[in-house]
Amino acid sequence: MIEIKNVFKSFENKDVLRNISKVFNQGETNLIIGRSGSGKTVLLKSIVGLFEVEGGQILYDNRDFTSMNTKYRKELRQEMGMVFQGGALFDSLTVEENVRFPLDMFSNLSPMEKQKQVDYCLERVNITDANKLSPSEISGGMKKRVAIARAIVMNPKYLFCDEPNSGLDPETSLVIDALIHSITVDLQITTIINTHDMNSVMEIGDNILFISEGEKCWEGNRNEILYSDNQKLQEFVFANKQYQKIRDDKLNDQ
Amino acid sequence: MQMNIFNVTGRYFALMLRVFSRPERHSVYLRQIFNEIENLGLKSVGIVAVISLFMGGIMTLQVAYNMTNPLLPRTLIGLGNRDSLILEFSSTIMGLIMAGKIGSNITSEIGSMKVTEQIDSLEIMGVNSASYLILPKIIAVVLMFPLLYILSVFFGIIGGMIVGPAVGAVTLSDYVSGIQYAFTPYYVTFSLMKCLVFGFLIASIASFFGYTVEGGAFDVGAASTRAVVNTNIMILVWDLILTQLLL
Repeated sequence: MIEIKNVFKSFENKDVLRNISKVFNQGETNLIIGRSGSGKTVLLKSIVGLFEVEGGQILYDNRDFTSMNTKYRKELRQEMGMVFQGGALFDSLTVEENVRFPLDMFSNLSPMEKQKQVDYCLERVNITDANKLSPSEISGGMKKRVAIARAIVMNPKYLFCDEPNSGLDPETSLVIDALIHSITVDLQITTIINTHDMNSVMEIGDNILFISEGEKCWEGNRNEILYSDNQKLQEFVFANKQYQKIRDDKLNDQ
Repeated sequence: MQMNIFNVTGRYFALMLRVFSRPERHSVYLRQIFNEIENLGLKSVGIVAVISLFMGGIMTLQVAYNMTNPLLPRTLIGLGNRDSLILEFSSTIMGLIMAGKIGSNITSEIGSMKVTEQIDSLEIMGVNSASYLILPKIIAVVLMFPLLYILSVFFGIIGGMIVGPAVGAVTLSDYVSGIQYAFTPYYVTFSLMKCLVFGFLIASIASFFGYTVEGGAFDVGAASTRAVVNTNIMILVWDLILTQLLL
């Protein structure tokens, strides 16, 4: 479980996050949603420590990340996996070497055990014949899947995904969403996904935080989101008329 | 402007503190060092050899054409070429050239990793990205630059030996006598010390500009240019300081 309490962050005297609090549950796909520029990427990067917050607390299973020194943070980070927007695979390494990299750095497994773990993770994300290819030789969807494999290779307790569907076609997006959701449930990890993709919200949104202009606006799950009377949330959700129709159909059915 | 210089210098030293912290896994770093020795050092041998051959040949011609006094022995042409190469050309001029070749390579590589979030990715894993990416490059360039210097002196002298007699500026025997005459081994020691400093400057300054880049591809290009310009200036400043201190 990850809990954030009254998180505050600013850049050059401009408040980007204002007093955001939220509990992200274990074994659920927790989504941070909002318009572009609403502060969701800053929030995600603040949670993982890429940005230092100026106020509030970030607790990983009651361990206060904000007050930890570098040594303890490094230890905690070995319990995290992150999938970046563009994949962030290392260009100089092959697919297999990318996935093995965290094991080479931090584990004491034998080469055979490492290979077994790498193969397992690549199979888990349905990549079987691209082990020796370099990142430049694979598609965007495959890059995301390799990034997921690399993020789970150390059996993390926390998984973070920054816009995992950006730049992907709708079909591949569904595959990636399903993959992240199944990994979250199977491994019972705490997953936080930063997205503005409403399809993802409706498919895997177990626990949703909606932020607008750096403030928490609404929280709930995918079943509640269509029926919320929050004005800003409605403007965000129903920007796509399809969801308005889905809501109206459901209301008519009732 | 003053604030900017202090700010950049402070950030450079702060980065170097992170670079020289304890590595997470020595075996991985060792592998990285060998990779960098190949990428940054061994792949520079060709360009060093070509530039040095021409540099030695041209230097020989310049000395020959400027030696108009018939009382001066022609052996001085070989001696002039040798000492110029040993003292300045194969260390400082080669340093300036390597700042362009190796330095821009380092800045572009690290800068690209920065803008594509690969460095953030390392940090999230708990890897000290500064140390993992920069330390092997600094060690590789510091180790390889003295070797490239020796190679440069060798090819420079060979260049003079080919061009001088070929165009009739000096006979082969006069040239060979010249390069053997009044040799001072300390000049080589002095230049090797300069090479260690230049190697550190090239790798560390280029890495700093790559690591601190913000933005996109355009900014990476601009950072490469800044890295080369700043490295060149620092090489010349340290050349002056070391020459005054050590010669």
